[in-house]
Amino acid sequence: MMAFVVLAASIAALFGASVAIGDEPIAIAEIARVLLGEGDPVASFIVEEVRLPRAILAVLVGAALGTGGAIAQAVMRNPLAEPGILGINGGAALAALIVIVEIESPPARLLPLAAFAGALITAAAIYALAWNDGTSSLRIILVGLGLNALAGAGVGFISAFGDVTTVQQAQVWLAGSLYRADWETVRVLAVWLVLPVVGVLLAARELDVLTLGADAARALGQRVEPTSAAMILAMALISAAAVAAAGLIGFVGLIAPHLARRIGGRRSRHVLPLAALSGAALVLAADLVGRLALSPANLPAGIVTTLIGAPFFALLLWRRRDAV
Amino acid sequence: MPSDPALSARGASIGYRDRAVIDGLDLNVPRGAFTALIGPNGSGKSTLLRALARLQSLSSGQILLDGRALATIGPREAARRVGILFQGASAPEGMTVSELVQEGRYPHRSLFGRWNRADEAACARALRLTKLEALADRPLDTLSGGQRQRAFVAMVLAQETGILLLDEPTTYLDLPHQLDILELAGALVREEGTTVVAAIHDINQAARYAAHLIVLKDGAVVTAGPPDAIVTPALIEEVFAVKAMVVPSPVDGRPLILPLTRAEREDS
Repeated sequence: MMAFVVLAASIAALFGASVAIGDEPIAIAEIARVLLGEGDPVASFIVEEVRLPRAILAVLVGAALGTGGAIAQAVMRNPLAEPGILGINGGAALAALIVIVEIESPPARLLPLAAFAGALITAAAIYALAWNDGTSSLRIILVGLGLNALAGAGVGFISAFGDVTTVQQAQVWLAGSLYRADWETVRVLAVWLVLPVVGVLLAARELDVLTLGADAARALGQRVEPTSAAMILAMALISAAAVAAAGLIGFVGLIAPHLARRIGGRRSRHVLPLAALSGAALVLAADLVGRLALSPANLPAGIVTTLIGAPFFALLLWRRRDAV
Repeated sequence: MPSDPALSARGASIGYRDRAVIDGLDLNVPRGAFTALIGPNGSGKSTLLRALARLQSLSSGQILLDGRALATIGPREAARRVGILFQGASAPEGMTVSELVQEGRYPHRSLFGRWNRADEAACARALRLTKLEALADRPLDTLSGGQRQRAFVAMVLAQETGILLLDEPTTYLDLPHQLDILELAGALVREEGTTVVAAIHDINQAARYAAHLIVLKDGAVVTAGPPDAIVTPALIEEVFAVKAMVVPSPVDGRPLILPLTRAEREDS
């Protein structure tokens, strides 16, 4: 409970800082006036059209990445599984990039659709190549790394032949940036997230039974195949929506569930919401650091999370070196 | 044999790829008794138990649960009536004993049903019967092999099924822990009328604890019945290819198998 309060408080603080800090610092009192509709026009524009959607997008993207990671780790019975490392996000990004480059100015709602298709194809490929009763070995990770590299190569290929200006814009998005945040992106993401997130939360108990393994789950009376398929579908939806909104923000899906389990134990009904909150805090913090570290340059949040996340991944791998 | 078996197989065949492991097998599991499955490695004991617990599908024939085809019973209802302790069960990292045991309540809970007093009581009883109360909050990966095995037994006990299938519950355990598990199974049969079917390696232990033996070889039932009626030197030689002497145990009169050494075989 204590940890939960600390987590919620740090999100509130990061959120406030996100809105207040920037090239044009805005005092908290002024933000309050803006929210009450009494602020001066410049401050109102910055808060309402730039920083607020950006901070809210950071929260939603972080929550989505954290939830997706928690689902992946439970269904695959593997604490190293994460949609990013498994190449599911990479597949989503590749599909979205194809749409961006091939269709001139695609509508915002088309991107999640394309990303979802990409995520599903990658998930199916992992299933076909590595799934062995939810293998807990590193095999699934290796296959995922391979698919991720493949998606990366696809991105390189599309970028090389696409229109230079479009590709340049897409690169910023691809690096995992909240730079383009606007209310439309926030709305589309929120709509895509509602159903799968609520569904998975309601079925959290099914996720716990799945983590026991296919045989044990079946012995307890669970219909294992449809349940894991539904969970993977939800994970693909959630991950794809996050990628379509903010590109590749790596390792949040890996770190957030670990934090969540540290705080709240193993039960999915605790882990899922805590992973969502941890993810939100991580992306808010990463975006803030990215904006401030090399100011006035804007470092994409995805680069910050990768700088933190890659060593964390290495640490987890090293700790499990006997479990290969 | 009682007239209404708790579980039975009728012409059951099970194959992996094109090799039949079990071919047209018939058997009856008597209700409210301790049945032991014995037979050499590869005789189909595990496969048979897995089929009785719906973990393995049949290529032909059927399994009957209380006279009804198992395949027509919903998975949750079946899981409320048949529980299995299978080999090689593993829990996710960091899961505690009580978390594992609580999962045993899954078939009793509806999708949005809350954790209730019956769930709590079933888990408390399971922990008590397996003497795990003091270890309830310990992560499974910090326990010894015997304790971990007991935790999985506790999970299947929390499932509160009238039929309990145990696949080699004593393998890899030292003697006191082997006896703990067998005594517990025996007590459930005596005190609660549970039907127990256990695949057991040690024929002497099987004859000692079980009221009914089913002897398997090459995926078929060789014979079945009370230990003192069916265990003979000829059966042991036929099934295990071992020459042995069978004597009544001085403790309870049940058959005791004494495999002969090579020198003794040449003498006789």
